[in-house]
Amino acid sequence: MRANVLQATVEKRGLVFDPRTKLLLLIAMTTFVLGGAGQKSGFGGIVFSAISVILCFLPFLLLLAAKRRKAALRYAILYLAMYVIFIFVTPQTRGILNFFILGTSGIITRFMPSILLGFYVVSSTTVSEFTAAMQKMHISEKIIIPLSVMFRFFPTVGDEFRCINQAMRMRGIVFGGKNMSKMLEYRLVPLLSCSVKIGEELSAAALTRGLGGTVKRTNVCEIGFHMQDWVVFLLCATAYFMLILSKFGVL
Amino acid sequence: MIEMNNVSFTYANTEACILEDISLQIKEGECVLLCGGSGCGKTTVTRLLNGLIPHYYEGTVSGSVVINGLDVTKAELYETAKYVGSVFQNPRSQFFCVDTTSEIAFGCENMGLESPLIKERVAEAAEKLNAVNLLGRNIFQLSGGEKQKIACASVSAMEPAVFVLDEPTSNLDMPAIGDLRRTLLAWKAEGKTIVIAEHRLYWLKDICDRVVYMAEGKIAFDIPISAFLEFSPIKIRELGLRSLSMEALHSTKPPSYGAEEFTLKDFYFSMEDIPILSIPALTLPQGSLIAVIGENGAGKSTFSRCLCGLEKGFRGKVLFHSALYGRRKMLEKSYLVMQDVNHQLFCESVEEEIRLGMEGENKEKIKGVLADLGLENLCQRHPLSLSGGQKQRVAIASAILADKEFLIFDEPTSGLDFRHMEQTAKLLRSLQGKKTVFMITHDPELIVRCCSHILRFKQGRVAEFYALSKETEGKFFDFFTQS
Amino acid sequence: MKNEKLMGKDLINIGIFSAIYFIIIFAIAMLGYIPIFMPLICVIGPLIGGIPFMLFLTKVKKFGMILIMSLIMGILMLLTGMGYYSIIVGAISGFIAEMIYKSGKYQSAGKAVLTHGVFSIWMWGNFIPLFTNSEKYFSTRQDFGQEYIDALTSLLPPWMFPTLLAACFVCGIIGGLIGKSVMKKHFIKAGIV
Repeated sequence: MRANVLQATVEKRGLVFDPRTKLLLLIAMTTFVLGGAGQKSGFGGIVFSAISVILCFLPFLLLLAAKRRKAALRYAILYLAMYVIFIFVTPQTRGILNFFILGTSGIITRFMPSILLGFYVVSSTTVSEFTAAMQKMHISEKIIIPLSVMFRFFPTVGDEFRCINQAMRMRGIVFGGKNMSKMLEYRLVPLLSCSVKIGEELSAAALTRGLGGTVKRTNVCEIGFHMQDWVVFLLCATAYFMLILSKFGVL
Repeated sequence: MIEMNNVSFTYANTEACILEDISLQIKEGECVLLCGGSGCGKTTVTRLLNGLIPHYYEGTVSGSVVINGLDVTKAELYETAKYVGSVFQNPRSQFFCVDTTSEIAFGCENMGLESPLIKERVAEAAEKLNAVNLLGRNIFQLSGGEKQKIACASVSAMEPAVFVLDEPTSNLDMPAIGDLRRTLLAWKAEGKTIVIAEHRLYWLKDICDRVVYMAEGKIAFDIPISAFLEFSPIKIRELGLRSLSMEALHSTKPPSYGAEEFTLKDFYFSMEDIPILSIPALTLPQGSLIAVIGENGAGKSTFSRCLCGLEKGFRGKVLFHSALYGRRKMLEKSYLVMQDVNHQLFCESVEEEIRLGMEGENKEKIKGVLADLGLENLCQRHPLSLSGGQKQRVAIASAILADKEFLIFDEPTSGLDFRHMEQTAKLLRSLQGKKTVFMITHDPELIVRCCSHILRFKQGRVAEFYALSKETEGKFFDFFTQS
Repeated sequence: MKNEKLMGKDLINIGIFSAIYFIIIFAIAMLGYIPIFMPLICVIGPLIGGIPFMLFLTKVKKFGMILIMSLIMGILMLLTGMGYYSIIVGAISGFIAEMIYKSGKYQSAGKAVLTHGVFSIWMWGNFIPLFTNSEKYFSTRQDFGQEYIDALTSLLPPWMFPTLLAACFVCGIIGGLIGKSVMKKHFIKAGIV
């Protein structure tokens, strides 16, 4: 299992955006691509199609900028393939095949840009940047602390999972072997008990270093807006501005 | 500096009093070693000092613990944190952040210090602990020793007056212990007060000023280190403590050679095109106890995973009884007892657990194995509710019943006191002649007690393989003392 | 309980259990790679999620812990590109779940099962984009023709919307019961709870 959510390190990651910019992009993506907001015909239709196309294209550019060429290329190829299937193949098919192809290509073209943007965000941000951004957005410590614990804990759960898996293979508990019905139970019980134990030790270590005090926590991680952030900001602002215009019937 | 006055403590939900009427005065700048067997209460004392008791581990405390004028049994944990810094046993579970720099800054951030000051302190702590090369790294990719160094740096950056360490070397190898030793010396040079609960004693000889020996929740004696060092090895053993020096160790029994042999062939393995293991051929005595030693990253764990058939791309073979075992067959025939045994206990009861990998029903055999390992009375218990040693025995029982030929142990004695280490050694010795046992370990005391052979790895190759005897003892000890 | 405010220890517990819970759900969501199976997440997710969640509830003794976990799931969904719908749904369902468990003084076993049923509804939030003006979305590609649009609406017909909600809730209840039995069978015997 790959548990690489927010595990980026600072070295070698290309163009850096402020986490807040990334969040804004995610929200815009939800509104315009996932949610399909905006009107769909006439001049407005063209404008909003343009916005969606730009937004769908962005994850590709961002991944390139973050030096993740492989992921970017894979995304571009899969997306284009699904798009072509969606437009040219589905009208030619009937029945269950049509149902399957349509469902697959439809859902993928709709969710993929957003999921890829999500992948970009979590793979290019460090936990400290993320917590710093949340602090600047005045989100409560009651959410920031559990979130940072969680990001810290993902790789640990992944490690535990791997160990348990190995132990199961040595005992002959595998897919297709006997005891298959109990595979889930056998996996979850040690996973939970080990995680709870590690969690207790982690709590103790964090508390003896003063977590949960009454003073406001500082955050040494420096984040801020740069040229690239303003470009993205402008793009999103334009999109939302258009949306407001269309709500008032101007477009 | 530290005043414990008539402290007694009972954990919530238990009857037994874990500490009884402890009084202890520690002066500023003193370094005190707390020792004694498992369950003697030394960890509880460290928890009282850093305030985890009663604020995190709940229970009833009487008496007072005053540090620098602050009663830590009453003060909030984040207040105590300013005066007392703590380092714990398990390097894997005590870091909060993902990257090293934020981790070192973590404590200071909680104190709400100004950002420039924190940066200064981080740089200073990293400098002092010789950890500058670790800054900006992902902690998950560090070795256990490096993680422990970061834990120390993080505490050090908060600049507390007192450092409390609870069995900090349990999971460390020799070079890492050397690093920790230098860290403690640096703190001592700054005039910090240090309290350390520890099993392994040899590395503390020239650091500690006083030795407090505890038994059954009481202080049995409290003497200067010079008096403690006068104790004979026999007395140390009677107290249930680990040896004070390497010289006290001696291989106790002549090694027995297995009559038959088996051969590992083409043990090559690489990760991301970097070769990690390369053993063209290696012939080993069957039924022997082989200690696998070597520095961090020498390929010991990769070797064990390959031997167990757990690495999917692995192509090596084992020639055993004139049959050639491939990866799948090895998965069937070998069993790795992990450092954290909790990963490999799945069932509701011990009995069900040990029958899990068995072919068919054989009540007699089960009974026999249970009796051999002293598990008869634990049959119906939940495996996870057992003690560490008992869990280890359950894992061994299940391996024997599943007809495994090769048993591999990963650090079977990490964090064990003398008595438990000796029990494990006895248990491992009882397997001699029946199964071939490999054990990856950093514990020379365990090795001299049970191993017949030494297999040393260096950079993925076999550096040497020899039977442990009076003649070879020298180079064996050299390996452990050089670092 | 001397202190009603959430302390460091509680916040860390939320984080740990959120991580375990999320990884389990995420592993299940891999089924969603075959997009047709996506709606099945609403069934399997709550069924299995009950095991870690019931263990989590044994650590919940103060107001806010369930709500925060629910919000965190929503935030994670936003971060992984599933939109912000789950934050909104999670805020509401999490709050109701919190109130239910609170009404049982944070210890009633029956209420715990019900709490998990309601809590599981956050997953439903991920499916909202499949229903919100889905026709409109696909009709932007005007050259598709009516037949095509019909086929799409039949892919996830409107009645699926409440059905998935109900599936989350009902499977959440069943998952809660499963979690309860695993707790009895293992965690209580093992002395973890």
